[in-house]
Amino acid sequence: MVHQQKLRFSTTGRGTYNITKQISEAIEKTGIKSGVCHVFIQHTSASLILCENADKTVREDLNAYMARLVQDGDSLFKHKDEGPDDMAAHIRTILTQSSLSIPIYKGKCDLGLWQGIFLWEHRTNSHKRNISLTMMGE
Amino acid sequence: MVFQDTIKISPQEKGATDITDFVRDIIIESKIKIGICQLFAQNSCSSLLIHDTADENIQKQTIDFLAQLAPDNDGITKEIDKSMDAIPEEMRVSILQTSVSFPISRGRPVLGIWQGIYLWEKTTQPNERKLTVTIIGE
Repeated sequence: MVHQQKLRFSTTGRGTYNITKQISEAIEKTGIKSGVCHVFIQHTSASLILCENADKTVREDLNAYMARLVQDGDSLFKHKDEGPDDMAAHIRTILTQSSLSIPIYKGKCDLGLWQGIFLWEHRTNSHKRNISLTMMGE
Repeated sequence: MVFQDTIKISPQEKGATDITDFVRDIIIESKIKIGICQLFAQNSCSSLLIHDTADENIQKQTIDFLAQLAPDNDGITKEIDKSMDAIPEEMRVSILQTSVSFPISRGRPVLGIWQGIYLWEKTTQPNERKLTVTIIGE
């Protein structure tokens, strides 16, 4: 059995957004008891991560670390039509993930207790982000 | 249904090569209408990326950025028996991904408007590259 659906999220600028609840609900609605959920983000300036979900300072630290690793407006960059965060956002995306595969076990999204699925917006402005879910199993 | 094939890509220049059309043709051949496609690079000298198709500067800037992260002449890398840029390039490849997966809907890859699938070639003297394609769906 294969189920496919789109999710759409509004972001309010650079940072991480917990999307675990929406994905868990989509999985439970399919009735699939055992299988895999594939999560794919249809953008090149936003990405997906599995991350610690309890202490928000973890994600604040990740943001700070990434900002140090990939600097907005780096003099190296020629692609800056949409501002200093444009090329940095593309690099931040390839250093993280465009897709995640998560097991479905006993009809639920089988994450660890402290794991959450996060959309990581890399642009500084707000954006609409599309995610495609493909859930396969029986 | 599972469709699996090995595809061969002729030696490409160092950097990113767009293989989206090639992959789309294989998905059409598989006749799978809904599901997942996974691509896996069977070597440690190339990576797979989902990256921006809009501006070729983005590919060049990504190469420059990775060169900055793992410089060719970095003193911490010890030369073994490969070409001068081999060890830093392996670091770059390890930061990137060996496989990518994305949804298939209506028999076509579900990519965002500005997304393309790229093979990242790390060496200036590449061989033919083999990719395993696994398409699961119905």
